[in-house]
Amino acid sequence: MFRIQRIPSISPLAILSSRVIAVVSALVVGGIVYSLRGFDVFDLGANVIDSSFGSEFGVQDLGLLFSPLILTGLATAITLRIGLWNIGGEGQFYLGAVFATAIGLFVQGPDWLILILMFIGGFVGGMLWILVPALARAYLQTDEIITTLLLNFVAMLLVYFLCTGPWRDPHDTVTSATARVKAEMPYLFGDLHWGLIIALLLAVLVAAMLAYTKWGYEVRLAGSNRFAAFYAGVPVRRRLIQVMLLSGGVAGIGGMLEVAGTVHHLQGGMSNNFGYLGILVAVVAGGAPIAVPAAALLMAVILNGGIVLQSYGVSTYEVLALTGLILFFVAISEQLAYYRISRPPALKAGAGA
Amino acid sequence: MIDIITGILTTAFLAGGVLALAALGEVLAERVGVFNLGVEGLMALGGVSAIITVTIVQNPWVGMLVAILVGLIFGMFFAFATVLLRANQTLCGLALTILGTGLAASVGRSFAGQPARASFPDVAIPYLSDIPVLGRAFFSQNLLVYVIWIILPFAINFLLFKTRHGINVRAVGENPSAADAAGIKVIAIRFWYVAAGGAFAGAGGAYLTLAFVPSWSDEITGGRGWIAVALVIFAGFRPTQAVLGALFFGVITALGFVGQARNWPVPPAFLSMMPYVFTIVFMIVPAMLAREGARRISAPAALGTPFYRDQR
Repeated sequence: MFRIQRIPSISPLAILSSRVIAVVSALVVGGIVYSLRGFDVFDLGANVIDSSFGSEFGVQDLGLLFSPLILTGLATAITLRIGLWNIGGEGQFYLGAVFATAIGLFVQGPDWLILILMFIGGFVGGMLWILVPALARAYLQTDEIITTLLLNFVAMLLVYFLCTGPWRDPHDTVTSATARVKAEMPYLFGDLHWGLIIALLLAVLVAAMLAYTKWGYEVRLAGSNRFAAFYAGVPVRRRLIQVMLLSGGVAGIGGMLEVAGTVHHLQGGMSNNFGYLGILVAVVAGGAPIAVPAAALLMAVILNGGIVLQSYGVSTYEVLALTGLILFFVAISEQLAYYRISRPPALKAGAGA
Repeated sequence: MIDIITGILTTAFLAGGVLALAALGEVLAERVGVFNLGVEGLMALGGVSAIITVTIVQNPWVGMLVAILVGLIFGMFFAFATVLLRANQTLCGLALTILGTGLAASVGRSFAGQPARASFPDVAIPYLSDIPVLGRAFFSQNLLVYVIWIILPFAINFLLFKTRHGINVRAVGENPSAADAAGIKVIAIRFWYVAAGGAFAGAGGAYLTLAFVPSWSDEITGGRGWIAVALVIFAGFRPTQAVLGALFFGVITALGFVGQARNWPVPPAFLSMMPYVFTIVFMIVPAMLAREGARRISAPAALGTPFYRDQR
């Protein structure tokens, strides 16, 4: 009666709607799980929406989660453009934070100068952390997924070492953290700092670079067909390295802004899994830098929801689980969008049985 | 000195056993052409279900069995998405890792930090356990060491390289279209080998929480699943080499413990970094030394590519 057909190419609208359906169905599955555990899901959902958008404090908290997610999402999205996966955003974020903290703690000067130096430091820190995976990918075809990911663990251990060892604030006996970094990002309102504007500007800037410059064209060409790009004279290897370094640097800026604007010192666990959640942001955005802020906002609401619901006994790991479920559904929907259920024309005409 | 070596090897067989099980499972998946990056998540799920099971029945073997089943079920989910629906393998793998890590930590929250209520007991084998070094390090351990280090690698090696079925399996990973034309059930073989790989990762998790540590804590897998994935690559997708690599990484992990216990003048955090750093070194250095393209030859040709029957 019915035939399932695979269609070779589909419209952007179909891709977008398949993605929305995937995110919604993952949230529905999550909701079913919670209602089975005896929660009133609609009450929880209303609570999350209300505490995210309902008050100025809520909007501030949301904004503070929004900015780093834009940057870590952007970091992964950039590499997707050239057909690679940087999933070491977590580590690069930490290294950006480490470099920024080092400058903030040990360099003397006026605040504006320190902030600029911290910004550069964050970018360089993130770039350095992806340098080895980038070179190995470009020259030896070493799988960048595994190398970038494993460096996350090294970065976490490094931050742990610094915060419990040489950089530990001797006055703080409760938490293991460095002393307070004096230079602070200027604030938009309340606790929300200019990092959000910087993150949004960076997303637009990267999107414009990819869309309108020769460099961006070469990157996209290398991303869709590396061999064609190579024979067309694109320096593929150089572009691979540049894209990965830019990606690491962007994630590093995320770490710098977190230190200078939100946390004000270096401490273990300060990344809130931003690096991993950035993978979801990039995937939901379809790897398009310009769509990253929208996807990051969605992720920020989910993450904020998880934090709000902690008073109900919901752990932050449940947010991670839900993130994984959304990713899984997006991956499946990406494929299912290519299938159509149709009736063969003969049947429609009523000629066949 | 002998005592130190014995101690290192004892830990290495335990720590490496976790990696060996997960790596063997990944060999199965990658040999049929599917790149499963979800090992880390499967391992966490296996580990937590083993801990929860032994809290109820206090029998490590039942815990292991449940972990294998949980690994199999989630492996089937992954296979359903990647083999039947042909969804992006990298994306599904990352999703499974994030989902598994988060789910395991959520479910296991009330079990975190407590010792396992039952773990695999050590059994000294008569006569063999009297051999110097190896007697204590290997022949006085839990009974699973023989399964992990001897039976499984040789059985899988035999299955893949000495049987007719093994030829079919490898054909599916090398050239699925040709295998399909030869009448091999490509989709079925892919599905069940990937699912079996998940069961192995689950078993690895149970070995972690019931034999090596033995307890549960958040993020206890700590990247072991990823190290296992890397191991398979530099083991040239061969089960025996993968197990040897796992033993090597077991030794590195054990060295870190010895260093901390003996107060080596290296901060513990740096000792803990060693397995990750060495994994990266081992992914890069052999590729630098190898002739151009040598690594490419060893990988199954269809690795990572979905199979569409209608696009022959």
